[in-house]
Amino acid sequence: MVSLFRFFLVSAVVCCGERSALCAAESPTSPEQLEFFEMQVRPLLVEHCAECHGVKKAEAGLRLDTKSGFTKGSETGPIVVAGNVDGSRLMKVLSYRDGETQMPPKAKLPDEKIAVFKKWLEMGSPWPDDAANAAGGSSAKDHWAFQPVKRPLIPSPLSSGERARVRGPSGDATPLAKSDSSSVPPPSTLDSSKAPLTPTLSPPKAGGEGTGKEHFTLALSPQSRGEGTKQIEPSNARTPIDSFIVAALATNELALSPPADRYTFIRRATLDLHGIPPTFEQVREFEEDASPDAHERLIDRLLASPLYGQRWARHWLDVARYADTKGYVFTQEPRYPYSYTYRDYVVEAFNADKPFDQFVLEQLAADQLGLEANSESLAAMGFLTVGRRFLFNNHDIIDDRIDVVSRGFLGLTVTCARCHDHKFDPVPTADYYSLYGVFASSIEPDDLPIIGQPKEAAAYEVFQKELAQREQAVNEFEQQSLTKLQDELRERVGDSLQLIAKGSGNWLNLPPALAEKIQPVFAAKNEPRPQVVKRWEEFLKRTATMPHPVLAPWHKLEKVAAAEFSKEVDSLVESWSNADAESTKSINERVRKLITEKKPATLVDLAKLYGSLFEAVRGEWDSHNKAMPDAKTLPDGASEQVRLILYGDGTPASVTLDEARRVFGRDIRDKITKLKKDIENLKVTSPGAPPRAMVMRDGGIQEPHILIRGNPGRPGNKVPRQFLEVVAGPERKLFAKGSGRFELAQAIIDSKNPLTPRVLVNRVWQHHFGTGLVPTPSDFGTRGLPPSHPELLDWLASEVIENSPRWSIKRLHRAILMSSVYRQSSEDNPAARGIDSENRLLWKMPRQRLDFEAMRDSLLAVSGQLDLSLGGRPFENQMDTNSRRRTIYGLVNRNDLPGVFRAFDFADTEATAAERPQTTVPQQALFVLNAPFVQEQARQTAAFAWNSVTEDSARLDVLYRRVLSRDPTSDERELALRYLSEALTTPTEKLTPWDRLAQVLLLTNEFLFVD
Amino acid sequence: MSLKQLQQILDLPSTRREFLSRSGTGLGSLGLASLFANAGGSGGEARAAPAGTSPMVAHASQFAAKAKHVIHIFLNGGPSHVDTFDPKPSLTKYHGQALPTTNLPTERKTGAAFGSPYKFAKYGESGIEVSELFQHTARHIDDICVIRSMHAEVPNHEPSLMLMNCGDGRLVRPSFGSWVTYGLGTENQNLPGFIAMCPNGLPITGTQNWRAAFLPGVFQGTHIDTKHTQIERLIENIRNDQIGRGEQRRQLNLLQDLNRRHADRRANEAPLEARIHSFELAYRMQMEATDAFDIQQEPKHVLEAYGSSVQARQLLIARRLIERGVRFVQLWHGEGQPWDNHDDIEVNHRRLAGECDKAIGALLGDLKERGLLDETLVLWGGEFGRTPTVELPTPGANAGKINGRDHNHHGFTCWMAGGGVKGGQVHGATDEFGFVAVENKVAVHDLHATMLHLLGFDHEKLTYRYAGRDFRLTDVHGRVVPELLA
Repeated sequence: MVSLFRFFLVSAVVCCGERSALCAAESPTSPEQLEFFEMQVRPLLVEHCAECHGVKKAEAGLRLDTKSGFTKGSETGPIVVAGNVDGSRLMKVLSYRDGETQMPPKAKLPDEKIAVFKKWLEMGSPWPDDAANAAGGSSAKDHWAFQPVKRPLIPSPLSSGERARVRGPSGDATPLAKSDSSSVPPPSTLDSSKAPLTPTLSPPKAGGEGTGKEHFTLALSPQSRGEGTKQIEPSNARTPIDSFIVAALATNELALSPPADRYTFIRRATLDLHGIPPTFEQVREFEEDASPDAHERLIDRLLASPLYGQRWARHWLDVARYADTKGYVFTQEPRYPYSYTYRDYVVEAFNADKPFDQFVLEQLAADQLGLEANSESLAAMGFLTVGRRFLFNNHDIIDDRIDVVSRGFLGLTVTCARCHDHKFDPVPTADYYSLYGVFASSIEPDDLPIIGQPKEAAAYEVFQKELAQREQAVNEFEQQSLTKLQDELRERVGDSLQLIAKGSGNWLNLPPALAEKIQPVFAAKNEPRPQVVKRWEEFLKRTATMPHPVLAPWHKLEKVAAAEFSKEVDSLVESWSNADAESTKSINERVRKLITEKKPATLVDLAKLYGSLFEAVRGEWDSHNKAMPDAKTLPDGASEQVRLILYGDGTPASVTLDEARRVFGRDIRDKITKLKKDIENLKVTSPGAPPRAMVMRDGGIQEPHILIRGNPGRPGNKVPRQFLEVVAGPERKLFAKGSGRFELAQAIIDSKNPLTPRVLVNRVWQHHFGTGLVPTPSDFGTRGLPPSHPELLDWLASEVIENSPRWSIKRLHRAILMSSVYRQSSEDNPAARGIDSENRLLWKMPRQRLDFEAMRDSLLAVSGQLDLSLGGRPFENQMDTNSRRRTIYGLVNRNDLPGVFRAFDFADTEATAAERPQTTVPQQALFVLNAPFVQEQARQTAAFAWNSVTEDSARLDVLYRRVLSRDPTSDERELALRYLSEALTTPTEKLTPWDRLAQVLLLTNEFLFVD
Repeated sequence: MSLKQLQQILDLPSTRREFLSRSGTGLGSLGLASLFANAGGSGGEARAAPAGTSPMVAHASQFAAKAKHVIHIFLNGGPSHVDTFDPKPSLTKYHGQALPTTNLPTERKTGAAFGSPYKFAKYGESGIEVSELFQHTARHIDDICVIRSMHAEVPNHEPSLMLMNCGDGRLVRPSFGSWVTYGLGTENQNLPGFIAMCPNGLPITGTQNWRAAFLPGVFQGTHIDTKHTQIERLIENIRNDQIGRGEQRRQLNLLQDLNRRHADRRANEAPLEARIHSFELAYRMQMEATDAFDIQQEPKHVLEAYGSSVQARQLLIARRLIERGVRFVQLWHGEGQPWDNHDDIEVNHRRLAGECDKAIGALLGDLKERGLLDETLVLWGGEFGRTPTVELPTPGANAGKINGRDHNHHGFTCWMAGGGVKGGQVHGATDEFGFVAVENKVAVHDLHATMLHLLGFDHEKLTYRYAGRDFRLTDVHGRVVPELLA
């Protein structure tokens, strides 16, 4: 309860910045007072308030169903002020004062009920602490995922008596039950530095599967050696991972399945690490390898191949919501020209076993690591920038980045706090906007850095030349448009003044005779554009207080009411009767003359006069300029004064290109967009376009405000840029270095941050076993599912952060693949199924289905067509018959994902994707039956068999070896030969019987599933 | 998730639980999980897949309801309500003059009142007025509920399309059709459950209009370009041009034989069984889909009743699909935004209505005749309506002809028919000139809530757990409008 209480105090301060709320929460309460609350006040709150201020709605951000909500107050602040009952907002709204919010909205409460509230506030508003599971997470801080990673002791083979004391991670009857404190060994044994016997991840160098004789070579904890302990089958507990899994199984009277045979194992491991099946020769070599380290060498070989990075990078690209297009962006170029550099970076990072902490740093802040200017690691920041562009709404773009960072690295759904405090996890809105500030202070430069070595010189030169031309086309057009715009601003001054005059609001109750005169008569046909009028309007405002020789009469007359206008004009003209008076001379002569002669009856009339004057002077200047091209001024002083308004500095027509871009009409803007699209298109398509990194850099620092309800129009309190309190603790430091992105990255990989390593090891586990130890890989919050093996999760996490090489993903793979858990068979076991039908305890290896990429790549691999080259621009039309590259290099078009991607459960590209759905729909079958791509692979596969030998039975061997990496059984041989003898070939059939047979093998469940 | 909720899920029979997690709906999708409690397929025996094999299998709604299918006729670009279903005599009176009220802000500047150039007449027993543009549709006005008080959020196409289709103008959310197929599955496993037809390409904002977003990809709408008439151009991989049907069957027999032997050695693996089954479905789908899209099988009088435009063809296909148990059919008038008539509205609206009115009338009559209208909810409308005032010239934005209307999200018209809707009535009203909804206003979220209700769902309870939250179509908004219900 202590930590619960503290959390509310902290959140109240963060959210309201008000001490009063704090005081209210701290005042001591007696049981009588609480009873008064429960008997008198709570029923009123439930009856009159909770519908709108409760768990469902929280109008105005206020909740009156929890103490925390009440204490925190509404969006505008606390609703009670300690020591000032009548001044409290609560009492004000209840008292139904005019002009103020009145609550409840239906009708004023009877006086006696208001009196109850008053009495209650006078007591200091006693309210019992919220129940432990109240939304907003009072107990949320005690949630398992937020606790420090503690290296657990490795369970030892135990006697049943000891089993009770050191229960497995799922010690309770139900495997998914939350672990309680009794399952954790005494604290003294938890400190890894004092437990020298604790084994590390390194698998044993010796030992093979299934002999039942080898012992795990690393020492087990001392108590396991006690007399009379019953050993778990030694073959089962070869590695630390096994010990955890076996212990949990044993508690449920289960055991691991026997090891899978070598054929199954090499197929499993190869598809797992490479996404394509092993060849027949590789299988045979492994089967015949009698050396004790055969498995280990196999795993090392697989991990050393670049095929590994091409496979595992894709898992991370799901998390990074990678795509090569921007989402709907109106008429702009929808493709990212350089997204592929991020994809290639990820492939390379996996192949090089880049430590995960470095991987995080580079993806968030590669610009701040002092890398070479052309370092390929700069491409890492595509992690932030390859997301959807949300019609260029920056708030949504930032939201997407917060989401990919927080769910991707931390397994926290921080973006839930965009509009209100997170309802389940301890993430206040303030923390969301702290991160918001980091990304708002970062920009994407226009000129992205070229990375790596320049491409082939000739192609690059062609590209540069074409690029220069297209860029010049934009510049020229913009310059032309700028000149046109300046002309427009000068031409339309009179028309603009008329509109300004008409809109100036002095025209109420106008005599009918005058009403006619306020209708503008435009010199040009149309109304001037609002942007043009606006510039003149702003100029007039700026000059209103200056003694301006040309504009002073305007400013004087614009304030005059319509009915008084003529009188005022007369008196003005009268005031100029003495031509020599200073006050007369201070007014431009031509202006005076016009007004004196024409006597404008309305401000619109006056605008027309000014318009004619400006037009006249513009003409004079044009002719003067023609005669004397070097002239800087008009010779006549009065005319020059007028000219300066049209051509001088700081006037509406002196517009920079930057300003002009905001003033251009839609036709101009459309044309510019089109010309820019031509540039982007060149970058996307030209073979000479050099690769660039989609970096971010620090821009102007933006100190973020909370946006109330996520509404950019409602800024609330300022918040500092800093990390999440739930992870960094109340003592967290403010970000001080530029945008804070680097510090954000450091906070994510901080050794005290328990989430990052847990989320990482869980993702790796998930892709090996189909399901994570935590089945909700991107939600480690209170709404996520608890880990099936919390101690194993923590042991893996502590291995990753403590033991060298730190943060190595390949080391993690090795440890998992060397375990008996991974090596066991996937065969059914009815007895085990009766106890754990979900196989959450892993009494067998889960059978898995190839995902879309592995399926397509495997088809290409067995047909001999697969192109294994690395990197480069995405290729399109992945399902064309001549398309041969690995699927990871195919264009991921989030604007219009091809049907086959969707049919085969490709990852959602809209947001970070932790898992892919696994559906079975007939569209999948239609594809493999009828798609020309599959038929082509069948043809190619059959051709091998047909061409390599002449006898049907031998051909069948070749076919089986290529597709399934094994020989056919005699049954299968018989079936196939019978099929070949019965298959008809009429003019309709363009596939030979052998082609069709090859296709059948490619379509089998055996091909698509991994035992 | 509380331990109790978790336990509830764990208490589900194993196959169902396995199905939930494997089919991608996830353990957390309590919204759907609870639906399974009273699930029961409503499709024919031959069509329904065995339970637990596909997330598309038909399941019951939360409560009994009439509507089983939806046809959404989407007049993309924004049809003018004052020229179709919302007559405004006062507007005609002021034609060419400034309105006595202020022109509300829309995307562009508008000027004087612009009376409808079309004649309105009363139809049916209800005597509801409809313009000549939709005179064929109007013959069924007694089955139609005209909602004249719709309103959206902004006067721009993109967010309004998203709002109408996905319930949110900006954020990435699943489309209405995806929610409905997620909630109900579909009755015919040989056809996609959610089909979006659009001739000649894609509407503005493209496939986002029928996206599944975070729902599993199978719930996304299947786009069909009805410009094509050949079946293989309509549905991917529906035909095999390399081998004949008989040989394909023989091939399939061998495959299934091998798969069966494989599965027999691997007991109790639902995914293996599911895939075996899916090949049989696919085999049948080749026939069934070909059939469904082949309108030449219709008698001559039906073909004539619908007419020959591409819009007519897709309306007729829609009926054939609904008849075969497809859950949700969306019909877009055409690529881009055809109804977006900033210029020449009189000519253009007349042409566009001419392309679809007759067929919409035929569809309603046809559905009724076949007894399908009761179980089919038909929605007609755009992403918003148009201004009652004339759009002023803006270079680049319009042709400067001063004879069109701007977008109008303040007030517009949709109509619904069938599926438990109370026909022959007008609900709500815009102001005297048709600028803004003023009476019994219906927000897009309310329309969604009401449609879900008609389909048997409490819109607050059809949820999907994603990123730690239970999402729903109406987010935190929406109310069922009881007046619309029969």
